[in-house]
Parts: sequence; structure tokens; C-alpha cells
Amino acid sequence: MACKARISFFGVVTAVVFAATGCGGSTTTGDSPSTSAAPATTSAPADATTAPAGAKVSANTASDSEIESALSAAGVSNAARWAHEVVEYRPYPADDPNLTKLRDNLAKYNPGQETVDKIVSALTP
Amino acid sequence: MTAVHPPRRALSVALVRRALYALTVIGIIATAFELATERHWNGLEQLIPWVALLILAVATVLALLPAESARIAARVLALIVLGASIYGVLDHIAVNYNSGPLDQRFADTWETLSPTQQWWYAITKTVGPAPTLAPGILGQTALLLFLAGLLTTRPTPEEAVADRAA
Repeated sequence: MACKARISFFGVVTAVVFAATGCGGSTTTGDSPSTSAAPATTSAPADATTAPAGAKVSANTASDSEIESALSAAGVSNAARWAHEVVEYRPYPADDPNLTKLRDNLAKYNPGQETVDKIVSALTP
Repeated sequence: MTAVHPPRRALSVALVRRALYALTVIGIIATAFELATERHWNGLEQLIPWVALLILAVATVLALLPAESARIAARVLALIVLGASIYGVLDHIAVNYNSGPLDQRFADTWETLSPTQQWWYAITKTVGPAPTLAPGILGQTALLLFLAGLLTTRPTPEEAVADRAA
């Protein structure tokens, strides 16, 4: 009996914890502008490998592949990995064309000033 | 051998247990502060320590309840957090490892390094942005709570017999 009571108690505790976890996760992802802003990028081709060289894409709303394409066009090596980092550190202030927040976060990887400048040159907020 | 008077022993145990609970609470608050200052919420994976902190807070409350089942639940939750902490350490190492080619010092040579060198650089944070052992604070705090739960002021059977005899 006591054992059953313990098991049911564990069940309740686990359910409460994971329910709270679920709420936290959904709230945070809901804050991300990438989901709500996704339609803004539909004017660009789905497969952005054909994006013209030198074309800037939005760091806030462009898809991973669109950013990767833009970074490749800008001559950034490991473009796929950098694109992933750009997406990870969203959102970026719209009133900062220099993308200071992105620069600060990329600096943690010690990429060198030239690489950071190339990455930022391919992006707009 | 010096016999410890049961009430004095109980007092000492209670004091140590309260100190462990206090350290647990301090650990939770300090970790939350550190995570907040690092803005550790980029993506679902970075939310794991926040969830672990929530679990640890729940476990702390459960540990303070008088019911034995609540205390056992607290210990189980503490072990879950310990697991999350170990995962965090390994994940930080993996993040650093994957960041190796992005570091300007190793961009051209990363692939030529031996796996041992690559992993060593990742573990020692020579490459990458993630502090390797930082998630360990979650495990340490969870262990404090776990140990606090093991302490009890109830007399041992021998002490109970001695008390009754007295």
C-alpha cells in the first residue's frame, strides 16, 4: 500500500515538473521572432542557393539556408555553421544595422575581425 | 570511544542538514543569476538548465516536507538534476569541439589535428565559447540536496532502545 502511494506520489510530482517544463519551453520559443516572421522570407526562393551574390538577407527573419547562401556568397568559410550561430542568437535589434549583438556573440568563437565583418556584411537586422 | 549524547547528536545533524539546505538554495539562486547574466536561453537546449533549476527548486520544497515519500521524491529529482548536469558538461565539450574550425587560430589546421588534441582543446576551452564545467554547479547543488535528505534526526534503533532504557 505504502509502495503504491509512493509510486502515485512520484507520478504526480513528475507530471507537475514536466508540465511546468513544457510551459516554459513553449513560452520561450513563442518569443522567438523567427516563427512569426517566417512568412516575410517567402518572397525569397525556398532554396536560396540561387541568391545573387552580394544580396543581404535579414538576420532576424531569413531561413538557415538563406543565411548560409548569403554567407557563402560573401566568402565566409564554414558558412553553414555560422548561419546556425546567426539563427541561434536571434533576435537582433532592428535599429542596429551594425549588428552589434551578433558581433559580440560571434566574438566568443574567436573567428577574427575579418570573418565577423564578412558575416555582418551579408546581413541586415 | 566517546558516546555522543543523542539530543546533542540530533542537534548536530539538524544543523548540518539545515546548512545543506541553505547551500542548496544559495546554489539555485546563484545559478539562476549566472544563467540570466549569460542570457542562457538561445534555443531549447539552453533552457535545459532552467528546467533543471525548476526541478531542483521543487525538490528542495519536497525535501522540507515531513512526509517520507516527499523526501524520497526529492532525492529522485536531485538525481535527475545530477544527470542533467552531467549532460550539460558533455554538451559544453561538444559545443566547443564543433567550434574548433570557427576559431581563426585553428580554421586551417583543425582537420589535421589528432582527435585527442581536438577533444583536449574542447575540454580545456582552448576553442569554443562554452565553459566546460559550469553545468557542474547544478550537479553539486543537487548532491547537496541529496545528502541533506540522507541525514535524519530520528534516533537509530540502538539509540531508541537506549532512550527507552533511560
